[in-house]
Amino acid sequence: MSKNINLNGKEYWRSLDQLADTPQFREFLQREFPQGASEFDNGMKRRDFIALLSASMALASLAGCRRPVEKIIPYVIAPEEIVPGVSLHYATTMPLGNSAYGLIVESHEGRPTKIEGNPAHPSTKGRSNAHIQASVLGLYDPGRSGDVLFKREKSDWSRFLSSWEADYGDYITSKGEGLAVLSESFSSPSLARLAELFRKKFPRAKWVTYEPVSDENIYEGTRIASGKGCQHIYNLDKCRVILSLESDFLQNESENIANSAGFADGRRVESEKDEMNRLYIVESGYSLTGGMADHRLRTQSGQIGGFAAALMLELESQGLRIDIADSPDRFKSLDFNAIPGYDKEWVAALARDLMANKGRSLVLAGRSQSPAVHAIVYAINHALGNIGRTAVYRPIKDSAISSRDNLIDLVGLMNMGRLSTLFILGGNPVYDAPADLGFETAIKKVEHTIHLSGFADETSKRVEWHIPRSHYLESWGDAVSVDGVRSVIQPMIQPLYGGRGSLDLLHLIVNGNEVSAHDIVRETWQGILKGDFEKSWERVLHDGIYDQKSSSVSDPGLDRRGLASYINRHLVIPESSVDNLEIIFRPSPNLFDGRFANNGWLQELPDSMTKLSWDNAALISMKMARKFDLANGDMVELDYDGRKLELPIWIMPGQADNSITLTLGYGRIAAGQVGDNVGFNAYKLRTSKAPYFGSGLLIRKTGAVYKLATTQDHSSMEGRPLVREASLEHYREEPNFAPEMVESPPLKSLWAEHKYDEGNQWGMTIDLNVCTGCNACTIACQSENNIPIVGKEQVSHGREMHWIRLDRYFEGDIDDPSVVHQPVGCQHCEMAPCEQVCPVAATVHDKEGLNTMVYNRCVGTRYCSNNCPYKVRRFNFFNFTKDTPEVTKMAQNPDVTVRSRGVMEKCTYCVQRISEARIKSKAENREIADGDIVTACQQSCPTGAIVFGNVNDSGSTVSKMKNQNRNYGLLAEFNTRPRTSFLAKIRNPNPELISSDEGNKIENLEREKKQS
Amino acid sequence: MDNRMVSVAAEEPLIMGNQTFHAVTDTISKIIEGKTPKLWYLAISISGSVALMFFGLIGYLVWQGIGIWGLQIPVAWGWAIVNFVFWVGIGHAGTLISAILFLLRQRWRTSINRFAEAMTIFAVICAGVFPAIHVGRMWVLHWVFPLPNQMSLWPNFRSPLLWDFFAVGTYFTCSFLFWYLGLVPDLATLRDRATNKIKKIIFGILSIGWRGGNRQWKHYELAYLLLAGISTPLVLSVHSVVSTDFSVSILPGWHTTIFPPYFVAGAIFSGFAMVMTLAIITRKIFGLENFITVNHLEKMNKIMLVTGMMVGYAYSCEFFIAWYSGNIYEQFAFINRAFGPYAWAYWIMVTCNVAVPQIFWFKKLRRSVPVMFVATIFINIGMWFERFVIVVTSLSADFLPSSWGYFSPTKYDIGLLIGSFGLFFTLFLLFLRFLPMIAMSEVKGVLPQADPHHHGHDIANRRRDS
Repeated sequence: MSKNINLNGKEYWRSLDQLADTPQFREFLQREFPQGASEFDNGMKRRDFIALLSASMALASLAGCRRPVEKIIPYVIAPEEIVPGVSLHYATTMPLGNSAYGLIVESHEGRPTKIEGNPAHPSTKGRSNAHIQASVLGLYDPGRSGDVLFKREKSDWSRFLSSWEADYGDYITSKGEGLAVLSESFSSPSLARLAELFRKKFPRAKWVTYEPVSDENIYEGTRIASGKGCQHIYNLDKCRVILSLESDFLQNESENIANSAGFADGRRVESEKDEMNRLYIVESGYSLTGGMADHRLRTQSGQIGGFAAALMLELESQGLRIDIADSPDRFKSLDFNAIPGYDKEWVAALARDLMANKGRSLVLAGRSQSPAVHAIVYAINHALGNIGRTAVYRPIKDSAISSRDNLIDLVGLMNMGRLSTLFILGGNPVYDAPADLGFETAIKKVEHTIHLSGFADETSKRVEWHIPRSHYLESWGDAVSVDGVRSVIQPMIQPLYGGRGSLDLLHLIVNGNEVSAHDIVRETWQGILKGDFEKSWERVLHDGIYDQKSSSVSDPGLDRRGLASYINRHLVIPESSVDNLEIIFRPSPNLFDGRFANNGWLQELPDSMTKLSWDNAALISMKMARKFDLANGDMVELDYDGRKLELPIWIMPGQADNSITLTLGYGRIAAGQVGDNVGFNAYKLRTSKAPYFGSGLLIRKTGAVYKLATTQDHSSMEGRPLVREASLEHYREEPNFAPEMVESPPLKSLWAEHKYDEGNQWGMTIDLNVCTGCNACTIACQSENNIPIVGKEQVSHGREMHWIRLDRYFEGDIDDPSVVHQPVGCQHCEMAPCEQVCPVAATVHDKEGLNTMVYNRCVGTRYCSNNCPYKVRRFNFFNFTKDTPEVTKMAQNPDVTVRSRGVMEKCTYCVQRISEARIKSKAENREIADGDIVTACQQSCPTGAIVFGNVNDSGSTVSKMKNQNRNYGLLAEFNTRPRTSFLAKIRNPNPELISSDEGNKIENLEREKKQS
Repeated sequence: MDNRMVSVAAEEPLIMGNQTFHAVTDTISKIIEGKTPKLWYLAISISGSVALMFFGLIGYLVWQGIGIWGLQIPVAWGWAIVNFVFWVGIGHAGTLISAILFLLRQRWRTSINRFAEAMTIFAVICAGVFPAIHVGRMWVLHWVFPLPNQMSLWPNFRSPLLWDFFAVGTYFTCSFLFWYLGLVPDLATLRDRATNKIKKIIFGILSIGWRGGNRQWKHYELAYLLLAGISTPLVLSVHSVVSTDFSVSILPGWHTTIFPPYFVAGAIFSGFAMVMTLAIITRKIFGLENFITVNHLEKMNKIMLVTGMMVGYAYSCEFFIAWYSGNIYEQFAFINRAFGPYAWAYWIMVTCNVAVPQIFWFKKLRRSVPVMFVATIFINIGMWFERFVIVVTSLSADFLPSSWGYFSPTKYDIGLLIGSFGLFFTLFLLFLRFLPMIAMSEVKGVLPQADPHHHGHDIANRRRDS
């Protein structure tokens, strides 16, 4: 092709379908007009939606500018009164399972609009993720329940109160006989205190905690291995070598923010002289973490236990004293060569790498893996001296941990008719309990059932009482992070729908009377805080955290005998054969277990790896697709353990062969207007025996075709130097490889160029070496900049509105490619092609180098978008915000214009934040300092990959980033002079494995070519 | 050297049937004065309905937004722009025939120039609708014009879209004036022949006092010559400017310097094809075979053969330059054009525009009315696809593969294209019925009777001494 592109020998393949050259793809090439786009309102039926919302609108107008009555303390600045137009920031905490995320919430005139991480909190460190960012929309969800329902009819709280008060006395007398509570898992001093009280008052009652997706297996594995119940905390920043056994710790596991931050700290390089960590992963599906890995081994989920055993034996053969490896006889019967993808050399090299980094390495297993695998992993870490260094543990306190077994017992009691009253505190067991338990029928056998839930969901529809639950941003509470750091949940707003929190209800259950959650929390904290309570209380509210240091035990020890016997009994490795298909369940990175299903931002957010939006699909490898003659969107019927589900398939390069991954959280039928009937309910196949994976799946093509919406149709870079990448070795040989990848003739303009050398000149860098592709920036930007959601129909027509998107490219072998992510927003070109072609000068440069978009002036010719080489401009094809419910309008940022139909929009570098900082600095009579302006994407980025600042100040962080030798401008050879630049990605493969890995890939590639 | 003798031997008579001046006037005026043919009612009821649908769809478009089309990011321009360029291209033939052929003394043009000009004006009207309705906010479109305003805001003079407005606007104005000026003597004829008062008044006003006096003829011919002179550069400029809508951008597939001549050639090509299609139908229906003879049609076929090959040359030249440039984006754009998802459109284009006109190398086919009718239809289709290929394929796969998309039209895209034909044919049918479709005064000028010198005794010897 051309001489001026130096690709450093990387082989980039063309699109997936093209490479495969499937008949479907050929058909796609030939078909003329595949499917006519239709009107906007076909997609989400917005008009119907609105009609149904009239009630909530009335509610919302009442809720207008409510502020909490109870005293909450503004963060950092505490003005006498609220100044209109000036936002206040409060600290609070978002509980999610056993995690607690410390937050700073931006509030405008009493309504929270934007959420950021609390820099002081160890679980967020000032960063956040997509769930946290999107939770503010959840607050203003018009689908939230506002009424107490009795047998699905509207009732009221007082009636429920009197009904419980009537029974309360009896239960006190009977010590809780026939009473049960099914709660979500939590880590909260107040909830734990009340739960303890519950046990005291009702010793015969049953308390069960269940989460469909939890760290239960990890806790169990740790307990088996150490003999103690401990909470794990990973210090990934201290790791030189990390092995993940199907742990998607960067996205789909607990504490992904702290993990991402730590991982990035260990990976960041400033020059070719720096060291960086090395990540190995063994997994079935292609996870985000897999995308960051230096070595990735595909195998079925069920085989990972065998792999862990193989690693253990290999480590031992290399002289590591594990102490238990001689006893598990089970290991001897394993045939490691039967593990698909198993490579003795690979394991040996990995073991050597781990051995060379004792105390600076970490092996982690995902929550999908069995307790036995976690126990093995614990033992390996223990032997490697990692416990207490890269993995620390603390005693579990104030927490309720999910237990599948307890749930099974509970359902047993329900079926036997032994329960008379069941309180369900949160959760949605009718939707997400294991399918084999028959929770839906069991619940009918309980006389009184009470469900506390934010939505009148699947479970609410089958209980006697439904109690609306308040959002965490509108209720008092407290939480403990995994590190043991306690914090208070302080409300930002009065409950919009008059709901009650778990605390309110639990207190009522225990004490038979009502006390405000505020008082409950204060009562708990009377016992926690020392000294002057009021003063300390205000301090805690202000800071958002109480304990500065986490309370960790360095080494919980190793229970050698218990471990060995457990492994012998419980390590199950299914037989791997081509005909024995494996089914895998993973929580959705966006909707998690389904609880975020009614959140439009998260529904529309494309999955990091598949780029599917508004749907889930069965993910299969290319090889399997060929075998079963399947193409993207083909409907299949999955038959697992006698249960059937029809859903479309999606070919995922890098997926383990003979494994099919299903994503949980979709297919809701009572989620709300947004989430109902989106995708397919994988819980229908999920049983208590195979909560995360199982074998023996049958698949049948039905012949139907389903339309899936994806935001990226093409996954190859076509040999273009877009994401520039090199191995650490190559980087050391050629430190300037990234800018030198493209040679261009001298870049000269037709006219005199503007200098841009005075004052503040804004610019950005994105370090691709630490960007994981987690999507946090996309949602943060959506929240900050009032970006509308458009629905599946519009997304499938390429009309999604995200100002910053994550481009994902595959490279290498189609069955086992590597993957790279690249966040692309407006590059703010100094020589912007868009500006030149606008006939009305609606997009122009300002003197600080911003490519500004004047919405009022835009007539909507869209020429700017055509001429934008980065295609980052988004057009309002319809009035996307016209039907925004009144209550959801409260989530909008008052500092950002809401765009109407027919205008172009795009990333502004958060110009409103720049203005805010400018005004502030002027008021304080100083220059804007480096770090005064933090863009929304930058703020949310868990790895700190995005840096923004003044490029005209050589001392600014962004200037220093731009001075690094990995810095390059995307398509800068067209003389666009982008202000956003990228820092090239570096991978750190094990030198021992490079040759064999590369050799295999080339071999595979050649084989593929021959086949097609 | 007496070049008259050469031309006499080569030229066939322009008007057949040994017409007298009176016969010319009668034949052409009777179409307007006589009873409306039933076929005309049928035709206008169809085209009128389609035109109404066109306006209905525009109404719906304004109401809903341009999202009703298949547009997306990256393909933010679709059929509206394709149709615009297509119609502007069609609009080239009229002025070319009127102005350039006039200046080149190609007197065979007299039989076809009137309705070719009319066609130009109607095509430009159809073209003009699309840029106006394709913008996101039609109600502020006037901001594109340099209108004084309290904000002292000017449009962006660097934008080719602005040049477009000026180019097409100027072209329309000049073409209209040119057409109208040519109509004046004929309108006066109709006024003189009018049998009722209303007609007399209307034609009287329209003929602006034409009496056919010598001075009037002198001024008229000078004005006509001047307008022809003004229009001639416009023929070249308007489509050159339209091509800058694309070539000024940095998009691979658009960013090419060959565009102006390529577009002009293509425009003439498509314009002639459309004139031919219309002429073949009209001469058949109104029995004008003596005025629009096979000789006329053959000449036009020759022009189409030439311009078709110019277009074909441009297609191949683009590929050569893409390869020669060494620019991977450019190279990909063209490979993708011919072999990518839109290859079907590309090969339709090549077949219709390059392969089909090759039949005109053969005299027999060149003079066969059915053959050329089918060929012109193909060329019309091919030229629409040429614009589709340029606009859509280039946009659908540009620099970053992550943004690549596939454009599919909706029923509204298709409806508006069909609707624009409805508008075009409605205007054209009204023209056929109410205005003289052949320039009587000019045709008379090429009759043998108009040549009083009688050098030879051959009726073909009709050339004026100049």
